[in-house]
Amino acid sequence: MKLDFGGLESSAPLYGGNDDVLADGFSAAPSFDLPVTSDFDGFQKNSIQMVKPAKGTTTLAFIFKEGVMVAADSRASMGGYISSQSVKKIIEINPYMLGTMAGGAADCQFWHRNLGIKCRLHELANKRRISVTGASKLLANILYSYRGMGLSVGTMIAGWDEKGPGLYYVDSEGGRLKGTKFSVGSGSPYAYGVLDSGYHYDMTIDEAAELARRSIYHATFRDGASGGVASVYHVGPTGWTKLSGDDVGELHYSYYPVEPAIVEQEMTEAVVA
Amino acid sequence: MVNILKYRCLKMPSETMEVPKTGFSFDLCRRNDMLAKKGLKSPSYLKTGTTIVGLIFENGVILGADTRATAGPIVADKNCEKIHYMAPNIYCCGAGTAADTEAVTDNISSQLKLHRYHTGRESRVVTALTLLKSHLFRYQGHVSAALVLGGVDVTGPHLYTIYPHGSTDTLPYATMGSGSLAAMAIFESEYREGLTRDEGVNLVTKAICSGIFNDLGSGSNVDVCVIEKGKKEYLRNHLTPNPRTYVSSRGYTFSKKAEVLLTKITPLKELVEVVEVGGDAMEE
Amino acid sequence: MPKEHANWSPYDNNGGTCVAIAGADYCVIAADTRMSTGYSILTRDYSKICKLKLESLMEKRIRNWLFAYLGVELASQSFRRIKDKCDFQVYLCRFMVWEYLRADKSFMASSGFQADVKALQKVLSSRHLIYQHQHNKQMSCPAMAQLLSNTLYYKRFFPYYAFNVLGGLDSEGKGCVFTYDAVGSYERVGYSAQGSGATLITPFLDNQLKSPSPLLLPAKDAVTPLSEAEAIDLVKTCFSSATERDIYTVSSYILVFSFSYAFALSRGVNESSRDQKINTRLELD
Repeated sequence: MKLDFGGLESSAPLYGGNDDVLADGFSAAPSFDLPVTSDFDGFQKNSIQMVKPAKGTTTLAFIFKEGVMVAADSRASMGGYISSQSVKKIIEINPYMLGTMAGGAADCQFWHRNLGIKCRLHELANKRRISVTGASKLLANILYSYRGMGLSVGTMIAGWDEKGPGLYYVDSEGGRLKGTKFSVGSGSPYAYGVLDSGYHYDMTIDEAAELARRSIYHATFRDGASGGVASVYHVGPTGWTKLSGDDVGELHYSYYPVEPAIVEQEMTEAVVA
Repeated sequence: MVNILKYRCLKMPSETMEVPKTGFSFDLCRRNDMLAKKGLKSPSYLKTGTTIVGLIFENGVILGADTRATAGPIVADKNCEKIHYMAPNIYCCGAGTAADTEAVTDNISSQLKLHRYHTGRESRVVTALTLLKSHLFRYQGHVSAALVLGGVDVTGPHLYTIYPHGSTDTLPYATMGSGSLAAMAIFESEYREGLTRDEGVNLVTKAICSGIFNDLGSGSNVDVCVIEKGKKEYLRNHLTPNPRTYVSSRGYTFSKKAEVLLTKITPLKELVEVVEVGGDAMEE
Repeated sequence: MPKEHANWSPYDNNGGTCVAIAGADYCVIAADTRMSTGYSILTRDYSKICKLKLESLMEKRIRNWLFAYLGVELASQSFRRIKDKCDFQVYLCRFMVWEYLRADKSFMASSGFQADVKALQKVLSSRHLIYQHQHNKQMSCPAMAQLLSNTLYYKRFFPYYAFNVLGGLDSEGKGCVFTYDAVGSYERVGYSAQGSGATLITPFLDNQLKSPSPLLLPAKDAVTPLSEAEAIDLVKTCFSSATERDIYTVSSYILVFSFSYAFALSRGVNESSRDQKINTRLELD
């Protein structure tokens, strides 16, 4: 098995040159430790059971007249336990490109960080920004090289390059799709329902942001593994901006205000007989 | 065996239908085995990862137990009772699955009572022992109850341990449960014949404390039961060595309350008429 | 290929709980000191907290560096003496810079499998040592946070069975807490609990400290409103409560590291307000 360690090397090599003296596994090019076992899959299955990485998501992105709209919830769960309500699932790769995060939180975070490094190196080498097509292919190629080893990544790369808005879906099974409308994660069926019925190309930025926000809200309403804050980003010709971040609990009451209830009878302390 | 009586009263609707003859239903065992093999996790039982002990002193028997019940790593009950009543002169400490120890001691306790009604004599500890071990042996260890049985009858003080599969020991001092080794360490070094009552209670307490502090399955408080000829003393929470460690002097505030959206109260008194019915309350 | 036992596992869980709270200018990080396996206690006195400390030679270097830059002729003198000779403000400024550069920046508390935790601590300490020799300064807490994330992720296919919280002060002197899963996903938070008592403590901290999400826009102030003493009080409460319901947590001995540097001269701080309390053992009664 050959793994791609490109971009993993330490960017600050030791001066002094003699790597052997200080080797100790720190200065050498890093690599992934693999367990010594005849049953790699079984080991993965068991160790994943024990460490329970964070999972469960609704993310979406779509291209429209004014650019790309990207939105996500912020919940991470480990089994039945909500491990965080404040995960940043929209990862800012550079000022013109965003990545979304679904699947294993560590896998997504690490490989997006790695992609960010590669994109920057590309910029320095070629004196221009990498295209969305190129960036998504870099990620897809890495993920493909790890295929079958248990990575869990479902991501969308959204950005603005020389050709205008770009949107790609990339996953850990090796898939890479160009498209104009995607939703990824356990809450995606619900998000698609709202998104498909409300989408048309000629939306204004405000309309598109509201559609994205509502789609995430409705997904968090029906999917227990999604929740927290609905973040909405827009990518235009001048780069990305964060448009909103709303607690979905408060969104619910703004969409469906509660009528002030008429109290028929006040609760009173029960009299002890 | 309450269930047996119930089933025998039932008229069978047809001859072909099979009705289990005894209390337990084993209908789903094979299905559950199959599901377990496929990776299904069966629900966790309340276990009393436990320290229970007993010893014979000059005038009778002393039993002791901790009061922690666990479900996995969580403490489900901080102050449960593990010394069960069997007969006025016999008590029994239980370790293992909480439901099993309680059910089996209750069950045998009622059989002993029926036996007393029948014979008009005080129950003997061996009788309880035989009933318990034959019940446990019949179910081949599936009833997971590990017991320390103690009492005083016409033949003197007796102390027994009973293992889940039905084997028994007769001992001057005994320990059971996950803290048994810690407790036995105390007994082995300090037990002697002819202890006085106070010496005995102190030794039992010390053994239980050893379990509480050194075994994570045991914890909270010490229960002790002293049985002497014609006399018994149940010392519930004899020692509480684990008080809350820290209480903030500032006190706690819980500001966010659940918002009340709707309150509706339906007074039942206007809808139904409550009549008090006279009659005998069921006896103990 | 070595023969594998059917039910053998390379992992064990040694239990224990870690809690960290970040405040405006302090950070509290605490852990119990018991190590256990199954129903047995392995030891009652093992610290789960690892100080990612200043290398001893570095202290001298920083001192020399500071004097070289600030042009103080009294390189060999103690600060106590400088105080007598110098203008107070100048002294204070230098004292602060010195103390800031010298102070430890981050602490890692870990529960899980002790062997993995120890291995992880060694890797991290060594990386920190190399960094200090390369850069003539300590690693900042956010940098350490990302290093920890990467270190964990490099063992993605054979994870460290360790659940970590990293606490410290960022470059602005604000308290920061980073929380991790076993394979390296991490997040900066205001407070965190990890380990066997985490599921009991986190809801309590949510109720007591819940601050607006950092993702909200328009942003709301998300700093824990507690004073340092109140935060330590809360941590003690957490442990004494978790002890009652989690068999792997013990409250009789917890190790609390609390540290802060009052860094702003404008606030008119004096010498004693830089307050780095470390290795404070609280024996709860």
